[in-house]
Amino acid sequence: MTMDITQPAEKIMPSISTNKLRIGRHRGLITAIVTLALLVAFILKVSATPLGYYDISQLVSGGTTLAIAAMGQTLVILSGGFDLSAAAVISLVNVSLASFPMGSITSPALLFAIGIGIGVAVGAVNGFFIAFLRLQPIVVTLATMFILQGITLLVMDNPGGYIDGSLYEFMASDLIPNTLPMSGALILLCLVLWYWLKRTPYGIALYAAGGDPESARSAGVSVAWVRFLTYVLAGGMYGVAGVTISAQTGAGDPLVGNPMLLQMFAAVVVGGTLLGGGRGGLTGSAIGAFVLILMVNILLILNVSAYYSTIAESSILLIAVLIGAIHGKSVLANNLSRFTTRLGAWREGVLPSQRNFTSQRLSLPGEVSRVPAAAIGWREWIQRNRASIRLALPAFVCFLIVLVATEAILGNAVLNGRYYNTLLVLSCFLAILALGQGSVILTGGLDLSIPWTIALAGIVVSKMAAGSNAELIYAIPFVLLMGAFIGLLNGSGIVILGLSPIVMTLAMNGMLQGVSLLYSGGTPDGFAAPLLRTFMTQRFLGVTPVVIFLILFVIFAVLLLTRTPFGRRIYAIGNSVRAAELSGIGVKRTVVMVYMLSGVCAALVGILLSGLSGQASLGMGDEYLLPSIAAVVVGGTLITGGRGNYIGMLGGVLLLTALQTLLAGTTFPMSTRQIVFGLVILGAVIALRERR
Amino acid sequence: MKQFLKNASHALGLALAFGAVAAPAMAEGKHKIFLSMSYIGNDWQAEAANMLKAMAASPAYADKVDLQVQVAGPNAQKQIQQINSMVQAGADAIIVYPISPTALNAAVKNACAKGVTVIAYDSIIEEPCAYNVHIDQKVWGEKSAQWLVDQLGGKGRVVMITGVPGTTVDSLRNEGAKAVFAANPGIEVVAEANGMWSQAVARTELSKIVATRPWDEIDGVWMQAGCYTANSMQSEAGIPDDKIRPCAGEASNGGRIQMLPVGTEVDGANGTYRPMGAKRWSSGSQNFTGALALKLAVQKLEGGEIPALTDVPQNIVTNDNIKLCLEGTWKEMSEGCNVFQPSIIPNPGWFASIYSELTPEVGLQAALIGQPE
Repeated sequence: MTMDITQPAEKIMPSISTNKLRIGRHRGLITAIVTLALLVAFILKVSATPLGYYDISQLVSGGTTLAIAAMGQTLVILSGGFDLSAAAVISLVNVSLASFPMGSITSPALLFAIGIGIGVAVGAVNGFFIAFLRLQPIVVTLATMFILQGITLLVMDNPGGYIDGSLYEFMASDLIPNTLPMSGALILLCLVLWYWLKRTPYGIALYAAGGDPESARSAGVSVAWVRFLTYVLAGGMYGVAGVTISAQTGAGDPLVGNPMLLQMFAAVVVGGTLLGGGRGGLTGSAIGAFVLILMVNILLILNVSAYYSTIAESSILLIAVLIGAIHGKSVLANNLSRFTTRLGAWREGVLPSQRNFTSQRLSLPGEVSRVPAAAIGWREWIQRNRASIRLALPAFVCFLIVLVATEAILGNAVLNGRYYNTLLVLSCFLAILALGQGSVILTGGLDLSIPWTIALAGIVVSKMAAGSNAELIYAIPFVLLMGAFIGLLNGSGIVILGLSPIVMTLAMNGMLQGVSLLYSGGTPDGFAAPLLRTFMTQRFLGVTPVVIFLILFVIFAVLLLTRTPFGRRIYAIGNSVRAAELSGIGVKRTVVMVYMLSGVCAALVGILLSGLSGQASLGMGDEYLLPSIAAVVVGGTLITGGRGNYIGMLGGVLLLTALQTLLAGTTFPMSTRQIVFGLVILGAVIALRERR
Repeated sequence: MKQFLKNASHALGLALAFGAVAAPAMAEGKHKIFLSMSYIGNDWQAEAANMLKAMAASPAYADKVDLQVQVAGPNAQKQIQQINSMVQAGADAIIVYPISPTALNAAVKNACAKGVTVIAYDSIIEEPCAYNVHIDQKVWGEKSAQWLVDQLGGKGRVVMITGVPGTTVDSLRNEGAKAVFAANPGIEVVAEANGMWSQAVARTELSKIVATRPWDEIDGVWMQAGCYTANSMQSEAGIPDDKIRPCAGEASNGGRIQMLPVGTEVDGANGTYRPMGAKRWSSGSQNFTGALALKLAVQKLEGGEIPALTDVPQNIVTNDNIKLCLEGTWKEMSEGCNVFQPSIIPNPGWFASIYSELTPEVGLQAALIGQPE
C-alpha cells in the first residue's frame, strides 16, 4: 500500500555507505526522540511547580494507552495495512471488563488475559478477511469498526460498571520504587518483545511483506500468514491498551476509545513510520504518542485560548513531522535543489522554454489516428467494460437488496417517487464528496480535512448571503475558490514539503476548525439564501431541483475521470507514481489538482448542506468523513489507488444512504444498526473480491 | 418535586448571597480556576463557556478569579491528562464539562486528594468527591414525553430523534421518555434515529424517516434537539402552521420563535424562523450551569459549603408561558421573557435557556459575547 505517494525517489536511490544508511533509516526515530526531549525540557523549565516523580509517573501512565495502541497500529502499517478498528477494540475491552459483576474478577492478570483475548479474537477476524480472503484492510477494518461499536453498545449502552480496584492498584504501583512506574514498565516490556520479534523470521518477513509483497512472496515468505499474524498481534496490543485505560478509569464507557483513532495514526507518523509499509518501528510510535500527549501540557502552560487550541495542536503536529522530513534526501530538499537548478538555468537562459526549439512533435498520418467508431452491440460493450462493471455491480446489487428489504419492512418504498426523491437528495452530499475523496484515493492518498471544509464553507456562504439571493452570485464562487485554496494548501504540503497525506489533511482539518470558530465567534449566524433553500427542499413535479443537479454532476464526474487527460493521469499515478513520472505526467501538479478537486467538492457540499438545513452549524461536516471513505471503497475503489470508477462509487453512495434510510425508519436499537451497517459493508466487499 | 426544587434553589440563592457578603477580600491573590471544556464545535458549549467567562469577568468576581480555559475535544483520555496537568499547575478549582461520567473518576479523585475543588456542569462525574451542577435528565425525558402524550390525548404515532448514543445524558433522557410512552398503550413509537444533538443531523435523519412515512402518518415528534428543524420541514412540505405536529424538545431560539402566536411582531424573521403558533414543549440543558459552577467554586474556595449535587430547575417553556424579550437583560428575563428577537440572535439553533435567578451577573450579552451584565 503506498499511502505516501511522494517518497519513491528515496526508496530507489541506493545509499552510498552502510553507515549513512543506518542513520537514514533511524532518522524518523531520532527526530521523534529529539522532539520529545525538547517538549519535556520545555515543560520542566516553565512549569509553575517542579515536577516530582509522582507527576512524571502520572504523565507516563496517561500516555500508556495511546502508546501501546499506536505500537499495535504500527505493526499493521509495517505490514502494508491499515487498521481502523483499533480504537473500537479499546472501547469493547473497556466495557467488557466493566460489565463483570463487582468482585467477580480481582486478579489483574486475569483482566489482562481477557482484554488480550478479545483483541486477539478481533485481530484474527480482521486477519482472516485481509490475509486469506485478500480483502482491502481499510474496508475490512472499517466494517469491523462499525460492528465492534455496535457490540460495545450492546454490552453497555451508557457509561457505568465497575472495574476491580486491584487493576488500578497494580498499574499505579512502581516496578522499581521512585524510578519506574508499572505503566512505563509495560511499555518497555512491549518494546523488548518487539526487539526480540524483529529478529525472528517473522520480524524480517514483516518488513519484507510490507516493503514489497511480490518480492517477499518470490523469496518464499508466506505473506498471507505474516499478515494474519500481524493483525492478531496488533489486536492483542489494542487489548492491552483497553486494559490500561480501564485501569486508569476504573469504569466502563462505550465511547472511551473512539476518539483515539486519528491520534493513533498521528503518533505513528510522528514516530517516523512510513504509511504504506516496510519502514519504521514501534519505538518511534511510542515516543510519538508521548509527543501528542504532552501537547495537552504545552497548551496549558502557554495558556492557548480555546479557539486557537486546535490550530496550535495541528501546527505542533506539522512541525514535528516536518523536522523529521528535513534531511539531505527528503522531498523538500529534493524540491529545493530542483528549484535552485531551475533558477540557475533560468538565469543562464538555458531553460527549454527560453530556447527557440522548433517543434519536434511526431505527426501521424491522419487516417490512422482515429479508429472508426463503429456501432457496437451490447454484448461487446459488456465485454469491453467487463472490469468496470464487475467493480460497480456489487454495490448496485446490494442497493437493490436494501430497496427490497425497505419495501418489506417499512413499505412505501419501491413504487414511491417521494422515496427516490428523498434518497437522491440525501445521496447528493456523499455523491459529490465521493468524486473528491475518490480521486484522492485513486492517487493513493486520503483527505481527512473534509469535515471542517464542509462546515467552514457552509458558515461562510450563510454569513455572506445572509438570506438574500443576490449575494449568492459572488458568495458561491468565493466559497468554491476557498475550497480550491484549501485543497491547494493540502496538495502543496504533500508534494512540496513531502508530508504524508494523512498528517497534512488531519492538521488542515484542525486548523479549519479553529478558523471556523474564530470566523463565527463560536456561533454561526446568517441564513442560506431562499434560492438555495428552494433548490434543496422544494419539489417541482415531484422532483427537487438538486436531483437534476446531481444527475448532471454524475455525468460530469464520469466524463472527468474517464474522458479527460486529468482523469487518465489520476489512474496512471495511482497505478504507479514512478511509471507516471517517467511517461511525462506532471505528477505533482496532478496531485495538487486532485486535492483541489476534493476541496471544491467539500465546499460544494457545505453550500448545499446549509441550503438543506436553512443555515450552517459548526459540526455539520463531522458525520461525512467515514461515510465518504466507505462509499468510495464499497463502490469498488482500491484504497491503494489506481482501480475504481465513479459509477461504482455512486452505487456505494446509494447503498449506504438507502441502508441508513431503512435503519432510520425502524426502532432497532443503535447497537443493532451499527452491526447491520458493518455487515453490509463487509458483504459488499466480499462480493468485490478478486479471484486469482 | 417542583416545590422541592424551588426550595432548594431558594436555599442555594441565599447561601450564594451569604457567601458573597461574608467573603473577605482576597488580599493574597486570586483563585486559580481552570475550565476543561469538551468539544467546542457546537453552540451549546460555546454559549456555556461564554457565560462562564462573563461570570469570571463580572464585577463581583473579576478580582477574585483567574480563569484559564482549555479544550479537551471529544477525547476522555485527553481530559484526564488535562485535569492532571491542571492540578500540577496549581489549580485551586477545576470546572469540567465531563466527556465521560466514569472515565475521569481516578483523575478527579487524585485532584480532590490534592485539595482541588472539582465541579462538573451539565453532564455528570460519578466520583463522589466531585460536585455536580445539572438538570435531572431523566426528569427531562419524562416531562417532555408526558407533555406530548397529553397533547395527543394518549393516542398517536410518535417519532423519536435521540442524541449521541453511548452517553449518559442521551440514555437517561431516552429512558425517561420511553417509560412514559410505554405507560400509554395508545402511543406507538414508529421510528427512532440518532440526531447527535445537531440540527443538521436531525434534518437528514428526519428526512430519511419521512421518505417512507409521510407526515400524515406521524402525529407527534419527540426530539432531544431539532424541533425547529421538524417544524421547518413540515412548513416546507406545505403543511399549514396550525396543522404542525406537536414537538417536545430542546430550547433553541428558533424553535421558541415558532411557538409565538402567528402575527406576533418580531424583528429579523426569515423563512421558517418566524412566529407560527407551533405547539411546543421547550426546555434543555441549561446554559448557565457553567457560570453557576464558577460561582459555587468560589464559594467553596472561600470556605463556604456547597451541595454535592445542584439540581437546577428545568425552566420549561410551553405555548402558555412563551414571551418575547426585547433586549434580553437579566432583569427582563427575571420578569418572565424566554425567547429573543431574531435580529439579535440570527442563528435559530442558538440555545435560549440562559436565565437563572441564581446568576444575575449574566444575561444575553454574556451568552453572546462573554460580557457580564
